[in-house]
Amino acid sequence: MTERLQLALPSKGRLMEQATTVLAEAGLVVRKTGNERGYHGEIEGIGKADVLFVSASEIAWYLKTGKAHMGITGADLVQERMTDWQARAQLLKPLGFGFADVVVAVPDCWLDVRTVAHLDELASSFRSAHGRWFRVATKYVNLARQFFVSHGFNDYRIVESLGATEGTPAAGTADFIVDITTTGSTLKANGLRILDDGVILKSEASLYASKVAEWSPNIREAQNVIMSKLGL
Amino acid sequence: MVAETAREFEALEEQARKLLSAFVAAGHEAVAPAVLQPADVYLDVIGEALRARSYVFTDPDGDEFCLRPDLTVPICRLHLERHPEGSDKASYCYNGSAFRFQPRGADAAHPREFRQCGIESIGAGDRENTDAHTLALILKGLEESGLKEWKLRIGDLGLFRALLSAIDMPERWRERLRHQFWRPLAFREELERLTKPVERHAVGIPEELLEGLDPARSSESARKVARYLDDHGIELQGVRTLEEISLQLARIAADRRAERLPVETANLIEGYIGVRAPARAAGARVKDLIRDVGIDITPALDAYHRRLQLLSELGVDVAKAEFSAEFGRSLEYYTGFVFEVQVPDLGEGSPVAGGGRYDGLMKMCGAPAKVAAVGGAIHTERLLKAVRG
Repeated sequence: MTERLQLALPSKGRLMEQATTVLAEAGLVVRKTGNERGYHGEIEGIGKADVLFVSASEIAWYLKTGKAHMGITGADLVQERMTDWQARAQLLKPLGFGFADVVVAVPDCWLDVRTVAHLDELASSFRSAHGRWFRVATKYVNLARQFFVSHGFNDYRIVESLGATEGTPAAGTADFIVDITTTGSTLKANGLRILDDGVILKSEASLYASKVAEWSPNIREAQNVIMSKLGL
Repeated sequence: MVAETAREFEALEEQARKLLSAFVAAGHEAVAPAVLQPADVYLDVIGEALRARSYVFTDPDGDEFCLRPDLTVPICRLHLERHPEGSDKASYCYNGSAFRFQPRGADAAHPREFRQCGIESIGAGDRENTDAHTLALILKGLEESGLKEWKLRIGDLGLFRALLSAIDMPERWRERLRHQFWRPLAFREELERLTKPVERHAVGIPEELLEGLDPARSSESARKVARYLDDHGIELQGVRTLEEISLQLARIAADRRAERLPVETANLIEGYIGVRAPARAAGARVKDLIRDVGIDITPALDAYHRRLQLLSELGVDVAKAEFSAEFGRSLEYYTGFVFEVQVPDLGEGSPVAGGGRYDGLMKMCGAPAKVAAVGGAIHTERLLKAVRG
């Protein structure tokens, strides 16, 4: 339908700045069209491409549904939002910013828990002592579930948490968490420790292409220009 | 497809009326628990794995509900609503829809929505007797509905527990084996792991802490752990107490000092799980297996034989029953006797009825203590199909 390549970029904050900087360094200067506060833009010198400024988590959805042909967002969000992400998207290039790890972190005082296997061992006695399974607070419901399944650990309940996840063990709404961390200092400040085998995903901002978007020759051409500028 | 469902509805209702009247005549009260259940109970009982096979959703208030995947948990909740203590004696029967997500796609043998008709007996003390009456009544219902040919598969998780208790090993290992019983692959791995050197069990846990901890001296262990936390500036947080943490550490420490599980013992457990035999011969098979190693589980075997005897007295042809030690692994809440009624035409994967003992479920649903309970359910669409031939 549209004969123009749709490139989705983060709409605000450091991610937006870094994404536009990386593109500019490759000679792809992104400019907003219309209102400075608007959400549309273009790339200088590429006539057949539109830039869509979208929240980072929604970019995954744009790639998943084919609303965008290309997009820059975190690997964590892509893998969380698309359980079958490899079927729907292609990783073109990790961009070297927005580093973050998705990790399992438990209260530091749990001296008896260093690995997922220790959690699994503990599950039954925890349950008999407290009358319920472990509660795991996370916004990465799918990543957490897949990771625990691959470790044969099933005895927990997920509590969806949309913010301040690190605070949930202290608040008593969860026992441990699956969350994103960059330096680990927030975890530490909240008395939490990453399990020795608790890194689920090492994430960074990356450029993806959607496999389900409609790729006409004109759009391919625009993609090729972008790719060659990026050295791909 | 809709039209087909509507056409079957009358036939299914007709069949259910017959089943229910047989159940009511046997003293079961007919009840109709809610279709929509709080997901909490199920997720707590079955775990997050439930989400993969049920319809769980969030309502506009943000609360999680599910379309009931069976009627046993709803009946337990209904019983608790009436009797908060949970231990009052009651017998129920029901007929209604249950829902399962079919990851490989739904078909006639594995529908998303089906109707279950069944019975539950809660709080009855004589376990073998109630087990036998439950199965006999289910079979009576099936036969009165016109089912002629069937065979029976039975299991007894009480035997497995008795075997584990009788084998000399640290309680922690037993707990782990019981815990993993439901996952055949993990169970085998765990069993193998227990026979091997232990270094990796305690990997990462500070050595200075493990030295000298002893599960039998809990207050001393707790003091030691408290001192460690203090020295390292770690604050206690969350619901786990200092005692819980130090007990688990002491168990890990004791585990390291314990001798490994002898390979022969691991083989014995594997051997037991592999037992499949005609119901009457199975007891002897199990006895043969354990006699040489000097293990005695007479009370559990007696209970097994007494149940068979009671079934015979109730007119059940136990020659049609096959015992499988592994059977019962599919649903984590069963604790004792389990059964499944199979029909040759429908195949092993599609039993027309099944059930068992679930003495822990009432407590998981909120009763203050464990309550003896056993039940069985008929898959009514399959029954109708089997009767029509």
